Amino acid sequence: MAITERVEKIRQYYVNTKPHISYERAWAWTKSFQRTEGQAHIIRTAQAFKDTCEELSVNIWDGELVVGTSGEFRKCAILTPEFGWLWINEEMDTFPERGQDPYDVTPEQAAFIRENIFPYWKGKSVEEAFLARISDDTKKVGVDTGFLDTDSKWRNGIGEISADYIDVLLPKGYGGIKAEALEYLSQLNEAIPADKKKIDFYKSMVLIADGMITLGRRYSAKAAEMAEVEADPKRKAELEEIARVCAVIPENPPTSFREAIQFVWFVQLGGIIAENPLAWNPGRFDQYMFPYYDADEKAGKIDYDTALELVECLWLKYSEWAWTISKNTASFFAGYTNFENLTVGGTKVDGTDATNTMSYMAIQATRECMTHQPTLSCRIHPDCPPEFMEAVTELVSTGCGFPAIHGDRTGYQMLSNLGYAPKDARDWNNCGCVVPHSRKTFEWTSAASISFAAALEFALNEGKSRLSGQQVSLPEKDPKTFGSLEEIIEAWKKQFRYLVKQGVISLVTAQEIHKEIGHRPFMSACNEYCMKNGADLVDGGAKYSIGPVFTGVGLSVTANSLAVIKKLVYEDHEYTLSDIIDAINANWEGYEELRAKALACPKYGNDIDYVDSIARDLADFYYDEVTSYNDLYGNHFVTAFMGISNYLPTGKVLGATPEGRHACDPINEGVSPYTGSDTSTCLAALRSAAKMEHEKHSGGTLLNLRLNHDLVATKRGRANLGAMLQSYFALGGFHVQFNTISNEVLKDAQANPDKYRSLLVRVAGYSAQFTNLSKEMQDSIMARNAHEAF
Amino acid sequence: MGMKGYVMQLQPFSVNDGDGIRTTVFLAGCPMHCAWCANPEGCTQQLKIGWHIRKCIGCGACARVCPQGIGIDLNAEREKCIACGKCADVCPQNARVRMVQEADADEIVKQIQTHRLFYSYSGGGVTFSGGEAAMQPAFLNELTEQIYDLGYSMDIETCGLFDFEAVRPSLARMDLIFLDLKHMDPAQHKRWTGQSNERVLENMARLAELPAEVVIRIPVIKGVNADEENIRASAAFVHKILPHAKMELLPYHSFGKIKYEALGIPYDHPEFGRPTKEELEHLREIVRSEGVETADFR
Repeated sequence: MAITERVEKIRQYYVNTKPHISYERAWAWTKSFQRTEGQAHIIRTAQAFKDTCEELSVNIWDGELVVGTSGEFRKCAILTPEFGWLWINEEMDTFPERGQDPYDVTPEQAAFIRENIFPYWKGKSVEEAFLARISDDTKKVGVDTGFLDTDSKWRNGIGEISADYIDVLLPKGYGGIKAEALEYLSQLNEAIPADKKKIDFYKSMVLIADGMITLGRRYSAKAAEMAEVEADPKRKAELEEIARVCAVIPENPPTSFREAIQFVWFVQLGGIIAENPLAWNPGRFDQYMFPYYDADEKAGKIDYDTALELVECLWLKYSEWAWTISKNTASFFAGYTNFENLTVGGTKVDGTDATNTMSYMAIQATRECMTHQPTLSCRIHPDCPPEFMEAVTELVSTGCGFPAIHGDRTGYQMLSNLGYAPKDARDWNNCGCVVPHSRKTFEWTSAASISFAAALEFALNEGKSRLSGQQVSLPEKDPKTFGSLEEIIEAWKKQFRYLVKQGVISLVTAQEIHKEIGHRPFMSACNEYCMKNGADLVDGGAKYSIGPVFTGVGLSVTANSLAVIKKLVYEDHEYTLSDIIDAINANWEGYEELRAKALACPKYGNDIDYVDSIARDLADFYYDEVTSYNDLYGNHFVTAFMGISNYLPTGKVLGATPEGRHACDPINEGVSPYTGSDTSTCLAALRSAAKMEHEKHSGGTLLNLRLNHDLVATKRGRANLGAMLQSYFALGGFHVQFNTISNEVLKDAQANPDKYRSLLVRVAGYSAQFTNLSKEMQDSIMARNAHEAF
Repeated sequence: MGMKGYVMQLQPFSVNDGDGIRTTVFLAGCPMHCAWCANPEGCTQQLKIGWHIRKCIGCGACARVCPQGIGIDLNAEREKCIACGKCADVCPQNARVRMVQEADADEIVKQIQTHRLFYSYSGGGVTFSGGEAAMQPAFLNELTEQIYDLGYSMDIETCGLFDFEAVRPSLARMDLIFLDLKHMDPAQHKRWTGQSNERVLENMARLAELPAEVVIRIPVIKGVNADEENIRASAAFVHKILPHAKMELLPYHSFGKIKYEALGIPYDHPEFGRPTKEELEHLREIVRSEGVETADFR
C-alpha cells in the first residue's frame, strides 16, 4: 500500500516547517514552582507536571488520528529552564538564523520569557549549581571545550529512559498506577521517619497519574467539541473516535490497537512535558504492540493497512517534537534528533525469534514516512529469518541511513557484563543511538564525551591546546625530547587519565545536584521497581542503576597517529619526532612529502594488525581506567564508542595530528575508521572494527560505513549485505549503519535543498534530513569512503 | 614455502563472479589477446609495474630507489624495468604498483582464509580468474587442492582455451564454471582474440563430463559480437551440447582503460560499443527462445 493522503499531508507539513519555540510549558512549570516553594522537590516536580497538563494548549491538527502536542505549535520545541536557562538567554535571539537546528521564536516571545520565566530560575537551575561547584581546573578542560564534554547532563533534561510498557504502563494504565500508589500510601506512616521519603514519592506518583489522566480528558473534550461543529462526516467520525479513545486512555489500560497507539503517544508526550528528554525510548515496539494487533486482527476489528496508517501517524508525532538544544549541543547532536529509539526484531526472553507483523510494519512505516524519528533499531540474531533480513537491508538500500543494525548476542553480552539477569539481558532494547538498554534501568547513557585525540595533543604539546596555546591539561615535557614510542604512549595515558578523572568529577557533581533538584517522578512512574521500592530513579529506585557512560571519540585518529610515529620515527628512522612535531605545528604546510608518507602508513580500518592492535590497546586502557571509578551510587563507570555527531566539534578544537589530518578537520566517531582511510574493502573495515572487544564497552559501539548504492540495488546484493552483517556480529561487532546514497545525489541536494527536503541520511547513530545539516556536516558525510564492489 | 605462480591480485569482496561474497584470484597469462581485454596486465606472465599517473605527485621517491636508474616517467624507460617492485614499496601515493607478481600458493591460501566467515554466511567462496586461470595448471591444482580441503566453494572463469586433461583435476573441484564464448564464427573469433574458437567449443562440450554447473558468458560488444545472428547461434550451440548450462550476457565496459594507462599501452577502440539495457534484454530474450536459461550475477 502506498502512503495515505492523510499521512502524506502531515508529512509534507513536517518536512517543510521549521520547529517553533513554545514557552507554555516553561511558563506553567515556573508558576507552579512559585506556588510550591518550601515543599519537597519531588512533590514540586510532580505538581508542576500536573499543573502543566492542566494548562497546556490542547490542539488537534488537521487530519490527525494520533493527538497530543507539547505546546501551541504543531512542530513544537519547548523549554526546561529548571535544568539550564543561561544558554537559552544567551542564544535565543539567534535561534531562527543559526546554521545547525534553527528554531522560530518571535521577539515578543523572547521578551516574555526574559521578563517572566528566567528571573525565577536565577540561581536555581542545575546548570548554575554545576558551574558553582566545579573547580577552575575542571572547567578549563571540561566545559565547552570539545576535549571533554558533559553538558548534556547539566544543561538539559536527562532522558535516557526506556518506558516499561510491558510490566507497567500498558497493563496498569495511569489509573492503575495511581491506585497502586494510593495503596502503598495507605500502608505508610508519616510518624515513622523512614517512611517520610516514600510518602513523598508515592504522593508524587499520584500527581503524575492525575496529570496524565487530565491530559487524556482534555483531548477527549477538545475532540468532542470539534466533532460537534465538523461539517465533513468522515472527519466528524474520526473526531468522535478520538474523543472516545482519549476518554478511556491513558487512565485505563488500552483494549485495542487503536487505543494502544494513542496510549503510547500520550506516554511519550508526558515524558516530553516532564523533561524535554534526550533518548526517551519507545523500546521494543513490536513486542508490546503485537498482542493488540493480533487480537484485533483475529477479531476482524482491524486490517494491516489501517494499523499501518496509525503507526505512520505515530511516527510523525515522534518527529514533530523538536528537541531544544544549545548551538554547542547541536553540533554534537545535529539534525533536531532527539533519539526516540524504537527497537524491533531480536529474540524473545526465551531465546526464540521475536519478529512479528509489527516488526515489518515498523520498517515499512520508516521507509514510507522518511521521518527522522523514531530512531529505528533492528536486532539481528544468528537465526534471524531471511525475510526480516531482507526487510532490513531493503530499508538500508533506500539510503535513509535507517535502521541501526545490531548484533543480538553482543547486546546481550554487554548487559550481562553489567550484571543483568539473563531474562533482562535478553530483553534489551536500544537507547539513544547505540546503547544496549533495558526498561528496568536507570543509567546516564551518554554522559561524557572524551577525546582520545585531545589526550594525544596534550601529550605532544606540553599539556596545551595546539590551537589556542593555553595550558588546559597536565604539564608535559618538550615533545621533541621523547625517546621512544613507549614513552609517548605513557604520556598519552597520563593525559587521558587526567581527562577521565575530570569527567568523573564532573559527572559525580552532576549526579549530586540531580539527587537534590533533579527528581524524575514521571520517569519513575514508568519503572516497575521504583514503584515497588518507593524510590525515585535518582534515589536508586530502579532494578538496575548503571554507572554513567563515557563515549570515546577519535580512537582511529589516535591509533593512526601513533602508528605513523612508530613507523616513520622508530622503525624506518626516516624522520625524527621533531620533524613530525614541526610539521603538525605548521599544519603540514611545507611538509607535504612527510604528510604523504604519514598518509601511506598503515591505517585502522584495513584489517592491518600493525595499527589495529594499537587501537585495541588504547581501547583497553580506556576501559580499565574508566571502569576503575565508581559513581555516586557505588556503580562503576561504563565505556562506549558511540559518536553521535561529535567527531565534528571535537575535531574543530584540535591542531593537526601526526597521521596526516589537518587542524580543525573532523576526527572520527565510534569505532569507525577515519574518513576515507579504509581503502581496502568493506570486509577489512568490519574486521578491524570487530577487534575492539565490543562486549566490554557496555555503553555501546558504533560503526558507520558508506556503501555504493549499486551493491544493495538487487535482492542478491542485499543478501550479501545481510551475510556481511551476520559475519560482523559473529566476529563480536555490535552495531553498523550504512549510508548508501551516491555523492552525486548529495551534491545536488546541497545545491538544491528545496528538491531534497525529505532526503534522510545517516549522521552517526541516527539519521537526519540532509538539508537540515550544516554545510560542513554535509561535506563530511560526502567525504566518508564509499565501499564499492567490483 | 609453497609452489610459486604468477598472480595479478587477490580481490576480496567480489560479488559478481559466483554466489555470495567471494575472493577472486586473478592468475596471469592468457593464450588469447582480445582487443577489448579489461585486464591487459594479465596477458602475459611477465612481472609488471604500473604507474598511475593521475595519482602521482612527482615526489621522485621511485626514482631514488630504482636500481635501473629509471626516472618518474616509467613509460619513457619501460624497457629497462626489471619489475623489482622497489618503487611500489616506497611510493606514498600507491601510484606505482605491482600489477603482476610471483606469489606463493600457501600465502594465497592463507590470505583467502581471512574471509572465511563472510564466505560461510553468504554462501560464497573463491573464484579463479585472470588472465587465464587455466594457464598455470600445476599452480591452479595446488591452490584448488588446498582450498578443496578447507571446504570452500570454488568457481572458475575461463576463456576456454586450455589443455583439458591438464586442468581436469582442478575443474573437477569446481562448483561453477564460467566459460567465455566470444564469437561463434571461427574467423571472427580469430580476428578479435588472435585464436580460433575450435578448441573452446571442444572444451565446452567436455564440461559435461564434470559435476560443476556451467554458465557460458558472452561479453556483448557492439561492433564485434552483439548481432542477433551470433547470439542466436551461440545459444543454439550451447543448448545442443550442454542442455543444462545457463548463459550470462555481460555488457562491454571500458573500465580497463585505467590499466592501459598505467602500463603505458595505448587503448583506442571507438568501434566498440556498449549495448543498451533494452538491447541486452532483447538479446537475452533470443537466448531464452533457443531454450537456454539466462543467469545474472549482478
